[in-house]
Amino acid sequence: MNRSSLIISWILQLSIAAIFIPTAYFKLTGNPESVALFSKLGMEPTGRYVIGFLEAAACGLLLNPNSAVHGAILTLGIMMGAVIAHSSKIGFSDGVFGYIAIALVIVSSAIIFIRRKQIKSIARMLS
Amino acid sequence: MAGSVDLHKISRFANLAIPSMAVLFFLGGHYLSFYFHFLTVTFLLLTLVNLFYLFIQKKHTLLRNFGILGQARYIIESIGPEMRQYLFANDTEERPFNRIERSEIYRKSKGIDAASAFGSQLNFDNAEVKIRHSMYPVDKADIKPYSLTFGEERGLENSYTITKPYMVSAMSYGALGEKAVRALSRGARMAGIAMNTGEGGTPKYHMAEGGELIFQMGTAKFGVRNDDGSLNDDKLRKLCAEPTIKMVEIKLSQGAKPGKGGLLPKEKITKEISELRGVPMGKDVVSPAHHIECVCKKTTVAFIKRVQDIAMIPVGIKLCIGKTSDFLEMVLEMKAQNIFPDFIAVDGAEGGTGAAPKAFMDGYGMPLLPALYSVNKILVREGVRDKTKIIAAGKLINSSRQFIALALGADAIYSARGFMLSLGCIQAMLCGNNTCPVGITTHDPSLQKGLIVEEKAKRIANYVHGLEHDFYEMLAASGIRDTKDIKIDQLYIPEDTALAGQIKALLNNPNL
Ligand SMILES: Cc1cc2nc3c(=O)[nH]c(=O)nc-3n(C[C@H](O)[C@H](O)[C@H](O)COP(=O)(O)O)c2cc1C
Repeated sequence: MNRSSLIISWILQLSIAAIFIPTAYFKLTGNPESVALFSKLGMEPTGRYVIGFLEAAACGLLLNPNSAVHGAILTLGIMMGAVIAHSSKIGFSDGVFGYIAIALVIVSSAIIFIRRKQIKSIARMLS
Repeated sequence: MAGSVDLHKISRFANLAIPSMAVLFFLGGHYLSFYFHFLTVTFLLLTLVNLFYLFIQKKHTLLRNFGILGQARYIIESIGPEMRQYLFANDTEERPFNRIERSEIYRKSKGIDAASAFGSQLNFDNAEVKIRHSMYPVDKADIKPYSLTFGEERGLENSYTITKPYMVSAMSYGALGEKAVRALSRGARMAGIAMNTGEGGTPKYHMAEGGELIFQMGTAKFGVRNDDGSLNDDKLRKLCAEPTIKMVEIKLSQGAKPGKGGLLPKEKITKEISELRGVPMGKDVVSPAHHIECVCKKTTVAFIKRVQDIAMIPVGIKLCIGKTSDFLEMVLEMKAQNIFPDFIAVDGAEGGTGAAPKAFMDGYGMPLLPALYSVNKILVREGVRDKTKIIAAGKLINSSRQFIALALGADAIYSARGFMLSLGCIQAMLCGNNTCPVGITTHDPSLQKGLIVEEKAKRIANYVHGLEHDFYEMLAASGIRDTKDIKIDQLYIPEDTALAGQIKALLNNPNL
């Protein structure tokens, strides 16, 4: 990993964290918009807590250089779920969240690509 | 991969099943409950990984042919050593130390009774050196306590006396982490034995524990070097004036990699290492294969003299024997110059190391027993056996092997791995990876966390105590009242051992 890709990776990690901190907070504290959204999915309230917790965890992992790649994998998982939710149940018309989800799928994939050597099991195999 | 299970078929099935599961769970998520999408996402990710393995990566045939199932093989292979060690290995078949040998040390270290029952698990038809007992054992109380004074031959004012035949063999701070060094030093002090610092430069952490130390001068002379790797007299003089430094050992070679130097990569040179070892940061440092002062027998013997004159304490050498004729010639040169090291540490080819190329570890050097026999024999034959002491190293981790070494001419015993095992080493064989799971050969704080210095120091002391107990019992059983009387006729040496071969070789060729 050279210097410039490391810097890019950190910018991407920080931008995911900047999005996840408020969204996780709203989910975990029961912000009415979140509640409405998860009601549509039939996941109120357990699913809201689970996703909120996972977002917070991804955020923590992303901010630690040793675990950033795992945080990115978790983010990719959550956001793939979000894209499924928007395309199958919620739709993209109200609000920007559907597009943010698509963007984060791309951003987290980029982090995984940059830091692919840090996925221990793969690194060991490919060495 | 063959056999009754057709992995190819199974993997083709799996490669279809994984994306199908993703579709299935998607339908479940859409029509039944959104929670199914947790599984949808998981299987989508697995599908992506599988596509990568099957069609994108090119390095691994197995993954390209079988996809994600092929990975199972890599995972199993990577945990193979642990599986074998814990589940499948016989008690006597692991190497370098089998489970019986290890557990004896663990028990001694914990102060648990080490008696075994029913019978030995070793094979008595095979070629192994054994010890002869006497028909008339002596009383333990009648045995003269062990004592050995290094430097007495030269009438040194600062000679060094040990009262137990054991010493901790060279392991550097660098190969060992800080906590292991501290636990070993503290334990050695509690046990009343000396510890070799290894070639890690100024032994800061060793000295901090206040035990008695043998400073090792490696071929790069870490801690006492000039920039070109030559000896800096002033630095050595200053270090030897430290009250904890009792002897100096000039390392000529080491059993695990005789004739081989080493390289300290610049990534490993932290600020602390750079200070302790006296090397600049940001540059690889080469440990040459020999001291730059020592290019022939003449210069080597002269160098011993130079160090003796500077150090004013006993100065010895450590080497692994390659050609016995080389050693003979060096002894002749010592006689000619009338200069003798205060001790000669003979390291067997079976010795351990933090890191060495496989070819050297497995293929080079003479094993300890024949090498030790030869060194002793040559010194006796040249009439200079009383000019120096012999220390033996190489898997001398239990009382019987130590006794055999003493009978072959050693005056004292060095062990490195014996003490590592006592510290809790589980023989994970990761000393060179900085990932030692029991925090001994690693600098990773999270792995060193589990190593409690005070606790492990006690283990070292217990281990030494247990060895010493055995030692006097064995002397009594062999009918020996003075440790100086342990001789080779105390041993039963089968025909087809390496030792017997070497005895014959020396007998037939006086020029060896
Ligand atoms: C982790 C480790 C580090 C070592 N470092 C050194 C060293 O710095 N200098 C040296 O001369 N020998 C070194 N050795 C070799 C030992 O001092 C010793 O000669 C050898 O391992 C034989 O003893 P043993 O069989 O009791 O371990 C090292 C061995 C180990 C296992």
